Amino acid sequence: MSDIAALFLSAGKNIETVLDGETVHAKILHDVSLDGRYIEGWVYVTPTRVIVTLGDQVTKEMPITAAKSYKTLGLIGSGQLEADVDGTPIILARFNLRQMPLYANAVKFLNKVASGAETPFYTEVEERTCPKCGRIYPDESRICPACINRRQVVKRLMKMAFPHWKLIFVVTLLFWLRAGLNLINPQLFRIFIDEVVAPGQADVRLFVFYISLITLLGPVGQSVCDMTRSLVVTRLSAQLGQDLRNMVYCKLQALSLNYVSKRKTGDLMNRVNNDTGTIQSFIQQQLVSVINDGLMLIGIGTILFITNWQMALMVLVPAPLVMFIMRRAWSTFDRRYHRQWRLSDRTNSLLQDILSGMRVVKAFGQEKREIERFTRYSKRWADVTAANERFYNTFFPLLGFLMGTGSYLLLWRGGVEIWQGEMTLGGLVQYSTYAGMIWGPLRNFTFMPRWFSQAMTAAERVFEILDEHPDVDDKPNAKRVKIAGRVQLEHVYFGYRSYEPVLLDICVDVAEGEMIGLVGHSGAGKSTFINLVCRFYDPDEGRILIDGMDVRDIQQSDLRRQIGVVLQEPFLFSGSIYENIAYAKPDATASEIIRAAKIANAHDFIMRFRDGYDTKVGERGQRLSGGERQRISIARAILHDPRILILDEATASVDTETEQLIQDALAKLVKNRTTFAIAHRLSTLRNANRLFVFEKGKIVEMGTHEDLYNQGGIYRKLVDAQMDLFRMRETSLSAVKE
Amino acid sequence: MSTNLPDALAEYAEIVFLAPEKCKFSMTAGGFLALEYGEDKFPVVSAYRSFPLTLGDKYISIRDDKEKEIGIIVDLADFSSDQANLVRAELERRYFTPVVETVVKMKEEFGYIYWEVITDRGPRRFTSRGQHDSIVPVSDTRILILDVDGNRFDVPDVRLLDAKSAKLLESLM
Ligand SMILES: Nc1ncnc2c1ncn2[C@@H]1O[C@H](COP(=O)(O)OP(=O)(O)O)[C@@H](O)[C@H]1O
Ligand SMILES: [Mg+2]
Repeated sequence: MSDIAALFLSAGKNIETVLDGETVHAKILHDVSLDGRYIEGWVYVTPTRVIVTLGDQVTKEMPITAAKSYKTLGLIGSGQLEADVDGTPIILARFNLRQMPLYANAVKFLNKVASGAETPFYTEVEERTCPKCGRIYPDESRICPACINRRQVVKRLMKMAFPHWKLIFVVTLLFWLRAGLNLINPQLFRIFIDEVVAPGQADVRLFVFYISLITLLGPVGQSVCDMTRSLVVTRLSAQLGQDLRNMVYCKLQALSLNYVSKRKTGDLMNRVNNDTGTIQSFIQQQLVSVINDGLMLIGIGTILFITNWQMALMVLVPAPLVMFIMRRAWSTFDRRYHRQWRLSDRTNSLLQDILSGMRVVKAFGQEKREIERFTRYSKRWADVTAANERFYNTFFPLLGFLMGTGSYLLLWRGGVEIWQGEMTLGGLVQYSTYAGMIWGPLRNFTFMPRWFSQAMTAAERVFEILDEHPDVDDKPNAKRVKIAGRVQLEHVYFGYRSYEPVLLDICVDVAEGEMIGLVGHSGAGKSTFINLVCRFYDPDEGRILIDGMDVRDIQQSDLRRQIGVVLQEPFLFSGSIYENIAYAKPDATASEIIRAAKIANAHDFIMRFRDGYDTKVGERGQRLSGGERQRISIARAILHDPRILILDEATASVDTETEQLIQDALAKLVKNRTTFAIAHRLSTLRNANRLFVFEKGKIVEMGTHEDLYNQGGIYRKLVDAQMDLFRMRETSLSAVKE
Repeated sequence: MSTNLPDALAEYAEIVFLAPEKCKFSMTAGGFLALEYGEDKFPVVSAYRSFPLTLGDKYISIRDDKEKEIGIIVDLADFSSDQANLVRAELERRYFTPVVETVVKMKEEFGYIYWEVITDRGPRRFTSRGQHDSIVPVSDTRILILDVDGNRFDVPDVRLLDAKSAKLLESLM
């Protein structure tokens, strides 16, 4: 108790006084009080002390070594920093989840000091706020949508577009042509009205000539021009989109598993597909229309003002109002249509749920309830859709009327000018045609900033991936080596997140050709051990050696080529069985494939399929049982002929009979290779040379089955527990039989 | 305790329901909850809600420091008010969910929503991902708002908000 009371000795003093000039490693916000109010307090970490304040008043102070250990605890909606003082846990500070990584990082340091490490150093972690505007980065990226350097992004996009300059040139030409055609037509109309069909004129040849010309340059020319242009632009943007997608995809392949698994698959898929798609459609539609509209606005504006500036002003009277309304209406539209879209989405997924769960629905006799549920959703969807239609159909005619007001003013003024002889009839027609053409471009310009910023954000998110540096990277002098198979781990520490250690101080030395069984409760770190050997991740501390060489000095592709993996959930690609077996060795001959399949005990079931080895598997293909998939993946590993073999729960999801077949296949595969096998059923590890027993990230026992069993430690307990389970099943089975 | 499970299965559902008169909760110097249950002493326990969204104070699982269940409290209302308050404080700590009283500002920008709210714990600014990921409808009138870090904010009844806040939220629902 006295230890805890000592915590509060400096309470109430000013932080500067208590710090007394000591270096501060970190000052971390703690913004939730112990009784759950928002406050502004800080946790100071110095080389020797932890000090907690409220504002600048100290509330707690302790020497780091006063506690045995420190930890962070993530709760729902908040987290806390705890210290263990003589077996009594104490809450030092609470904070909102944003601060979690900062605290976790501090805890690493605190624990090093508390455990008496020699030279503890404090590693900084970055905050997740934009240094420019202080906005929080909205996602895992480090992109602040408000502070993107747009010019930089545009420059980079242009650089990417450069190889396609020929197409771009054609597109530009077509733009000028299209704008020219647009502008020339009203001109022709004026001449036609004023000179060709004016009273007293009856030149039939001129008449026919003008009509043909107007048709040719008008509807015909414009359509041809539009068609060619959209063909060319589509091709251009498709090529650009594909370039981008390929670049992102290649980069993702190069990045480590750590990077990929840290992000949500959805987020990455988004970047590969949606973001590149956004950029593509921006180029294809919006950019095109902007260039076009810009040219048109300049052209028409100039003509209108030069011909008659008073009338030009009249046309533009409603413009500001119209643009204002359109901008405001946009968000309403967006919201309304989004809602409609979401309801339709929900109705659809409900339907899908019900259809795919039909057997369950029927089995429990719940048809009526499901019908009611569906009807409710579908009615809401219908209601919202109808309301939106009503909105749409009132809004646009009204807007049209508003835009039209300029033209009425124009008619009035133009009529007067004709009477006064200052304007011809053709002149007025020409003028009002031009005036009508101004609204489309104006409207598009209202939406432009939004489109632009969407595209820029998408581009930036894509570039972020492209700029990412792989954290499991090949060293420039990484070597290609032929592996014999000795594997050593020296004081390896690792955690998927830096603040949650999963493996602690792992030291092992595995001889070439040895078979090692990894056992332990689920979550103990067995698969993680294997991930490190495959170098899907690099250890946080310590080294992994293969044949005495640091794995970081071996080229990754070379390393993986010599490691074979058979997992619990074998992954088969969409394609034929043949392709799946040959995956790691595409140039394998047919007889090699069949031999591999035979060794894997897969040949016979493959031959039972109508299409034999050409049978399609994967998402749309033949349905295979777990055991069949497993044997195909074993055949793949056999063909791969790795020096180091990894079996992670390879037989966990198959029935006992198939298990025998697979065990049998694996026994052949294991010969003469360094093997790491994880198996739930311990009996399958009997023929391992040694067993490593994992518990909470540490290897706690090591030795042969007999040794460990006789030792009577954790392994013994695991084995006995399984035996009990087995016996229980046997007896309950016989009970059922009787 | 009566359950609706068929009687033949009852023996398999070994739920320990904590008897209020046998429980003695207290607060440790370190800020944790401790429990004396009859003869047994647990220096540190934690409380978990079984139905955090629907039955807040009912069916609370009390677990020891190894997260092993000691038993379930059927309803906190059966406890004396000091005892219930100790457990409530512990629940409060685990499920830190400020209640939004006023939405001062809500700006949707670049696909993210920047919020400024006043909660029962004080004012707060936060950022949430687009509306689909950040608004969790709990019932027709209740929503949870999740920010980008996983912090939670509760709006127990949208209808009880002032007009301006309701309108801002409405636009997301
Ligand atoms: N990709 C991952 N990201 C974060 N944590 C992980 C990941 N994979 C495993 N873990 C965590 O690491 C611990 C060890 O997991 P694992 O090595 O898969 O255990 P085992 O294979 O022994 O069952 C577990 O607590 C698990 O939750
Ligand atoms: Mg595993």
